[in-house]
Amino acid sequence: MAHMSSTGMGALGPGQPRRLMRQRLRRRDEATAFAFVVPLVAIELALVVSPLLLAACYSLFRVDYFELTRFRGLGNYVTILTSPMVLNALGATLVFSAFSLVLTLGLGFALALRFERDTRSSVAMRAIVLVPYVISMLVGSLLLRWIYPRDGGLSSMALGSLGLGDYSILADPRAAMAALVSNAVWRDSAFAMILLLAGLKAIPAELHQAARVDGASAWLRFRRITLPLLRIPILITLVRLLIHFVNVLTFALILTGGGPNNATQTMGLAMYRIGFIDFKLGEANALAVLVFVFNVGLIACNLVLFRQRRGS
Amino acid sequence: MSPRAPAWRKRRRNRRVAGWLVDILIAAFALGPILWGLSTSFKPPQAILAYPPEFVPSQPTLEHYALLFRTGIHRFVLNSVIVSAISVALALALGSLAAYALARLSFRGRSTLMFGTVALMSIPLPSVLVPTFMLLANIDLTNSLIGLALLYTAYQLPIVVWMLYGYFRSLPIELEHAAMIDGCSRLRTLRKIVLPLSGPGLVAAGLFVLTFAWNDFVVAVVMVSTEEAKTLPVAIYGYLGFYGRDWGPLTAAAMLSIVPVIAVFIAFQRYFLSGMTGGGVKG
Repeated sequence: MAHMSSTGMGALGPGQPRRLMRQRLRRRDEATAFAFVVPLVAIELALVVSPLLLAACYSLFRVDYFELTRFRGLGNYVTILTSPMVLNALGATLVFSAFSLVLTLGLGFALALRFERDTRSSVAMRAIVLVPYVISMLVGSLLLRWIYPRDGGLSSMALGSLGLGDYSILADPRAAMAALVSNAVWRDSAFAMILLLAGLKAIPAELHQAARVDGASAWLRFRRITLPLLRIPILITLVRLLIHFVNVLTFALILTGGGPNNATQTMGLAMYRIGFIDFKLGEANALAVLVFVFNVGLIACNLVLFRQRRGS
Repeated sequence: MSPRAPAWRKRRRNRRVAGWLVDILIAAFALGPILWGLSTSFKPPQAILAYPPEFVPSQPTLEHYALLFRTGIHRFVLNSVIVSAISVALALALGSLAAYALARLSFRGRSTLMFGTVALMSIPLPSVLVPTFMLLANIDLTNSLIGLALLYTAYQLPIVVWMLYGYFRSLPIELEHAAMIDGCSRLRTLRKIVLPLSGPGLVAAGLFVLTFAWNDFVVAVVMVSTEEAKTLPVAIYGYLGFYGRDWGPLTAAAMLSIVPVIAVFIAFQRYFLSGMTGGGVKG
C-alpha cells in the first residue's frame, strides 16, 4: 500500500505520517460508500418499510376512499378478531399450511435424494420438476383449475370412468381444500428440493464412503449421517415454505376462489377481499398488521437459521 | 456361477426400468397440467370438452391465439416487457452500487445494512399490499408502469444485493487496487473492472428480477386497474372473469405467459438455482 501515496492522493505531502493518510482514505471511502448505498436505503424505506409503518397508523382509523375519516383506536382490531370470516380464514390457513408443509417437504426431500447425483438424467429431471415453480403462480393455478372442473376437466373424466361422473371436486369443501394443497405441492416441491439439494451437496462424500466401508446400510447412513447434517437446511426450508404458505393469496384466489362456502378462503385471500373487494381499508390494514406480526416471528427464525448456516 | 449371473443382471435391469417408470411418473405430475393446457389451446371449441379426451389435438387450430391478438393482448405483453426491463435495469444498477459498497468498503452502519438486507429478503408480499396501495394512491403512482417497476425493484433489491455481494467478494481484489493506483475512482473501478468481470453474477441476479417482474400477479392486480397499465398476468386474470369456462382462449393466454419463461429457464438453468438458494454463482 505504501506506493499508493505517490499517486492519486495528491493532497498528501510526502512527509506526512501514514496514519493520517489512511484516515483520510477511510473517510473518503466512507463518503463513497454512503453515496453507493443511499439508493438502496431510500427505495427500501420508501416502498417497503414505510408501508408497514403506515399500516400500523391506518389500522387505527376508519378509512373511506383513502381518507382517514374517524379515529377508531383499536376498533378495527376488535372487528377483525371477532369477525367470523377472519376466524374461518385462520382455520383454513392452518389446515392448508399444515398439509402443504408436510407434503411439500416430504416430496421435496424425496426428489432431492433421488436426483442428488449430477448424472445427465438427474439434471434433466431437476429442470423438469422446476418448471411449475418458475412459471407464473397465476398461470399455474389457472392450469390446475382446468384440471378440476366437472365439465370437461381431466380429473372428472378420470372419476367418471370410476362411476363418479357427477362428483365435482371444487364444490366439495374437503376435496377443494385437497385441490388447494395439491396446487402448493405441485408448485413448491421443487423449491424444497433445491434448498435440500444444496444441503445434501454440502455433506462430505468421505463420510458416506467411510460408513460404507464400516458396513453401514443405506438406511443407517441416511439416519446417522444425512438427517443430522441436514438439520439446518431442513429447518430453513420449513420456515421459508411456512412464510410462503401462510401468506399466499394466488392459489386460493384463482383455483378455488375461496369456495365452496369460504372453505378454502385463506388469510391472504381474506385480506385481499376485505381490502379490495369490500374496500374496508382500515380493517384490512389492521389484519395486515396482525399477519405481519405473526410473520416477524417466522422471519426472525429465518434470520437465525441464515446466520447458523453461514457460520457452519 | 453361470446360472447366477443372468438373475443378478435381470434384477438390475428390472430396477432400472422401475427407475425410469418413476421418473416418467414424476415428469407427468410436474408437466401434465402444462401440456394439457398446451393441447387445449390448440383445439377447436367443440373438441375441448370432448370425451374421451384428445391428448394431441387431431385438428389443431390457432383460432384462440388469433382471438387474443385481435382483442389486443399484445398491449399487455408489451406492458409486461416494459415493466420487466425497467425493473431489471434499476435493480442491477442500484444493486451493484450497494453490493460493491458492502463488499469492498468499510463504513459505519455496514453490518446493520447487511442485516436489514437479509431481513427484507423474506418479507411476504401480501402483508404489505394494502398499505402499499394506499401509499401509491396518495402519490399518484397506481396505474403506472413506473410505479410497478419501482415496487418490483424494491422487492427484489435485497436478494440482488445479496447475490452480487457474494459475487464481488469472490473476485480478486488486486485488479481493483491496480485500477485505483492508476487513479480510478471507486465508481470507475466498479464500472471498468468489477462489472465486466461479474457477468455470471449479473445474469443470475437479473434473471431473478426478470422472472419475478414477468410473473408477478398479486402486486400488479392490486396496483393496476386501467387497461393502459395492465400487465399480462393481470390481463389473464381479467380473461378468467370474461371468458369464464371458455378454456381455449384462457389456456392460450396462459401459454403466452409461460413460454418465454420456460425458454429463458432452459437457457440459463444454472443461474436460476444460485438465486433460489441465496448463494453465489460459480463463474
